[in-house]
Amino acid sequence: MAKVRNWQLGRDMDYPYAAARPKRQFTMIMDTNKCIACQSCTIACKSTWTWGKGQEFMLWNNIETKPYGFYPTGWDVNILELLGEQEWDGDVYAGQTIFEAAPEGERVLGWAPAEEDWSHPNIGEDEPTGNAEDTTYVPDTPHSMMWMYYLQRICNHCTYPACVAACPREAIYKRPEDGIVLVDQTRCRGYQECLTACPYKKTMFNLETRVSEKCIGCYPKLEQGLQTQCTTSCIGRLRLTNYLSAPDEVDPRKPADFLVHIRKIALPIYPQLGLEPNVYYIPPVHVPTKFLTQMFGPGVEAAVEMYRNAKDDPELLGLLMLFGATERIMDTWDVSDGVARAYDEEGEEIVAVPLREPTFVRSFEFATDVAGTPTTAYRHNT
Amino acid sequence: MSETRITRKDALVYGGAAAGGLVAGGAVVAGLAVAVDQSKSPPALVGEPITAPYVSGALPVDDPTAGAWNDAQRVLVPLVAQQFVPPFLEKAQLAEIQVRALHNGEVLAFLVEWDDENVDDLDGIRRYHDAVAVQLPARTGSTPPALTMGAPGSPVHILQWRATWQRDIDSGGKTGVDQIYPEVVHDVMPDDVLPPDAAQLYWVGREAGNPLSQVFRTTPVEEVVAEGFGSATHLSSQTAVGRGVHEGGGWHVAVAVPSARARVGDPLAPGTSWPVAFAVWLGSGENRGGRKHIADWQTLVLEEKA
Repeated sequence: MAKVRNWQLGRDMDYPYAAARPKRQFTMIMDTNKCIACQSCTIACKSTWTWGKGQEFMLWNNIETKPYGFYPTGWDVNILELLGEQEWDGDVYAGQTIFEAAPEGERVLGWAPAEEDWSHPNIGEDEPTGNAEDTTYVPDTPHSMMWMYYLQRICNHCTYPACVAACPREAIYKRPEDGIVLVDQTRCRGYQECLTACPYKKTMFNLETRVSEKCIGCYPKLEQGLQTQCTTSCIGRLRLTNYLSAPDEVDPRKPADFLVHIRKIALPIYPQLGLEPNVYYIPPVHVPTKFLTQMFGPGVEAAVEMYRNAKDDPELLGLLMLFGATERIMDTWDVSDGVARAYDEEGEEIVAVPLREPTFVRSFEFATDVAGTPTTAYRHNT
Repeated sequence: MSETRITRKDALVYGGAAAGGLVAGGAVVAGLAVAVDQSKSPPALVGEPITAPYVSGALPVDDPTAGAWNDAQRVLVPLVAQQFVPPFLEKAQLAEIQVRALHNGEVLAFLVEWDDENVDDLDGIRRYHDAVAVQLPARTGSTPPALTMGAPGSPVHILQWRATWQRDIDSGGKTGVDQIYPEVVHDVMPDDVLPPDAAQLYWVGREAGNPLSQVFRTTPVEEVVAEGFGSATHLSSQTAVGRGVHEGGGWHVAVAVPSARARVGDPLAPGTSWPVAFAVWLGSGENRGGRKHIADWQTLVLEEKA
C-alpha cells in the first residue's frame, strides 16, 4: 500500500498504487436541481455506446431517484452498510476508506451485484420518502416533509479507482492526459473483480465478449474538444463536461476549478469511500442535510447556501447559465454587461448567453373585430 | 505399464535426466470413481511423481475417456485454496484432482479429473466457468519457479482449459446472451442489420483481438506464459489442444502440448523430469482469476522410449 493524498478527505490514505495524477482530470458537474429524469442522457449514451448484443442491461449513464432508486439495486446502501458507521472530523475524514477497510485476502472492501440487481434500472423511480397521506394533496399538510430527487450517474473516473486497485491484471488504467479510466479490452480476462470493487458499480460485464466494459467519458468526442453525449443531450442543461486541475494547481479561471474549489458549490459523491471521484454534484436544495451529508460530504450546507444565493453572484450565475449552451468544452468564461461568454483554449469566444433572457409581456385582453363587431378577445381564446 | 517414482529431492534438478535408481511400484489407495474404465487401471497413487509413459503413436488428446489413458498411473494431487496473493479463495471447495500423463516424444498429454456436480460453461454476470490449468517451468533449472505463476526472470508455461471454451467448440460459438438467457427477446441488434465486419465493431473485446472474447475457436486450451500473478500472456502461436467432458459427476479434461515448446522454452524431452503444478476453478463456487484451487509443485517424469 502506498500513501496518497486525497483532498476530498483532507488527509492521506492507503492505496495499492502510488499517486499519479493526470495532466488534467476529466470531470463532470451535475446540477441535481435541474434534472427531471427524462433519461435523454441515458438514451444518448445507450444508443452511442452500448446497443450491442451482450450489453442489453448496460447503462453507463443512468438517472435514479433517490433515496429509493438504484442501478444496480442497492449499490450505495450496500457498500455503506459494509463499511459501517464512519465519522467526519470537520472537513477531515476520520473513518476508514474501502481500501483501508479491505478484509484479509482482498484488495478492496466490496460486494458483487447479482444479475437481477442489474435488471431494474428504474427501481424506486419517483418514489418519495413518505406515504400518500403525507403529500401536499392532503390539505392539512401544505408543507410535507417528503422529498426525492434525481441522481445523475456515470463513471466517476476516480483519482484512486477501486476498479484499478482490484484488477489482478492491471487491465484498467487512467489516461495520463485526461484521467479517463478505461478497461484495456485486449488485456481483461473477465474475472469481474472490478464489478465487486467499484462502490459506484460502474464497471459492467459484457455477456458476449466476456470482458468488462465501462463509461469511456466519450473520449473520442473529448479529443475533438467536445462535451460528452450525456452532456449535450441533456434538455435540462444541468451538465458540464470540463477538466479539473490538480488540487494544488487550482485556477479560478477554469470552470470546474471555480465550481469545485473556489465556490465549493459542487461536491463529490460518497467521498468517504476514498476514491476521490471526479463527478461533482450541486446538491438538491430541498433534501435534508443529514442525508446529503452522507452522500456528498461535509460541504453540503455551504453548497446549498451558495446555490440559493447564485442570483446575486454574477460570476457563478453566468457559469451556470453556460451549462448546456454549447457542445464545445469551455476553457474559461467571463461575465460582463449581463452576458456570460465561454472561451476555448485559444481564448476565442465559443458562445454567449444572457443572464436574463429578454422578455415581452403581451396583455391578456386585446381589442379585435369579429364580423364587423368590435370585441374584446382573450389570449386563451385565440 | 511401467511405473516409476522419484523423490521430491530427486526432482530438484529437472529438465535433465531423471534421477537414477527409480523405485518401481507405488502406494496403493482406494480407487475413486472416474469416467475412464478403471478395471485395467491400478488405484491412484498419493504423494508420488506423475509418470508419463512413452507411448508410440497418437495420444488420446481429444478423448479424455479413451482406454489408452489406462496406460498411465493415476496420481492424486491435493489442492488448497489460493491464499498467497489477494484476491484469495476464502475456502477450498475441492480437495483433490487425479492426474495422469502420457507422451510419445512429440506430444505431452495430461488427463486431469475432478469431482464437480455442476457444469459451469457460460460466463455471465457473477457467473463463472469451470477450468483447469497445468503449469510447467518454461526452462530447465535447479529449482522450480515460484508456484505463484513464476516470477520475473523465471517464467512458467501454462495450459488452461475452460469449460466455456469447450462449449464454444461443441456448440459452434453459441455461448452468449441467447444461451445464458434462453427466453431473451431482443430488439434489433447490430448483427441483425449490419454486415459482419461492421457488426463486429459492437463487440469491442472481440474486435480488439482479445483471445477470451472469441467464440469461434479451434482449441479449448489456451497457452500462456507468465512471470508472476497477473502477468499471463497469450502466446501468439497457440499449440495446445485438448478436450473436456463432464461425466459421472465430474470433469475429465485432456490437455496436451507439443514437447518441443519452440516458442516457450526448453523441450519436454523423453527421459527428463519436471516440476508440474495445477490449478482448478469451480464456477459455481465463484472461482475466477486468483480465486482458485492450487496444487503444490508435483514431479513429472517423462519416461525414455522403451
